[in-house]
Amino acid sequence: MAKKTRIKAKLKKGIITVKAMAKHSMLGHQEAKKAKKDVNFITYMTATVNDKLVYEVSTSQFLSKNPYIKFKFKGAQKGDKVIISWVDLKGTTQTSIGKIK
Amino acid sequence: MNRRIFLTLGMSAFAVSLLPVNLKAMNFRDSKPKVWSATKVDQAMIELFGTSDAIESNMKIKAPDIAENGAVIPVTVSTKLNASKVAIFQDANPESTVAVFSVPENGIIDYSVRIKLGQTGTVTVVALADGKLYKASKLVKVTIGGCGG
Repeated sequence: MAKKTRIKAKLKKGIITVKAMAKHSMLGHQEAKKAKKDVNFITYMTATVNDKLVYEVSTSQFLSKNPYIKFKFKGAQKGDKVIISWVDLKGTTQTSIGKIK
Repeated sequence: MNRRIFLTLGMSAFAVSLLPVNLKAMNFRDSKPKVWSATKVDQAMIELFGTSDAIESNMKIKAPDIAENGAVIPVTVSTKLNASKVAIFQDANPESTVAVFSVPENGIIDYSVRIKLGQTGTVTVVALADGKLYKASKLVKVTIGGCGG
């Protein structure tokens, strides 16, 4: 469906900083009423590296449109893949992959 | 025709197998559904952590003093505590809870998200570390029209 999540991951002094932006309209109850569309927003997002969980968040309708997230973690190498996936209220899921630079 | 249906089925089965559920993760939407309908910060904290008593220290919150656009407010929460859960609440929208992070083993608590505020309100971040709650909060003024104030 929609465009992929954009992922940028950078390794610096052993700490990896990941910036990611998901493409999602994040329609809360009020906004959906105004736009006459169905309520739909990302409810759950995770990031994994080498099958290990590095980021996990349960979210509500009050994240901004096209949610942008930034987080840090330790214990990964250059070239490792960051896999970010989310699921929204309607059960749509999307998985995107980024590489650590 | 049959073959096509079969292929579609296979594709959707593949998509399901990619779900993050099999990662031994915690989705607070499923495990604590009441948190998301709580209309007060205290109430949401009780639903999530079991108590609303929090020590106001050791937590850092970064948010603008005045936001010209209530739809995009950058909030950064960071702490050096060895916390297992971090949550963001606010009191400007109909429901209080914005996001709940559960911190994995290698995670560093320095999370940035962008949130929506319907009006001027206080953003509160709470962390659970060693069975205790720590919090920090900040007032964000939302001006509509963008002339400051």
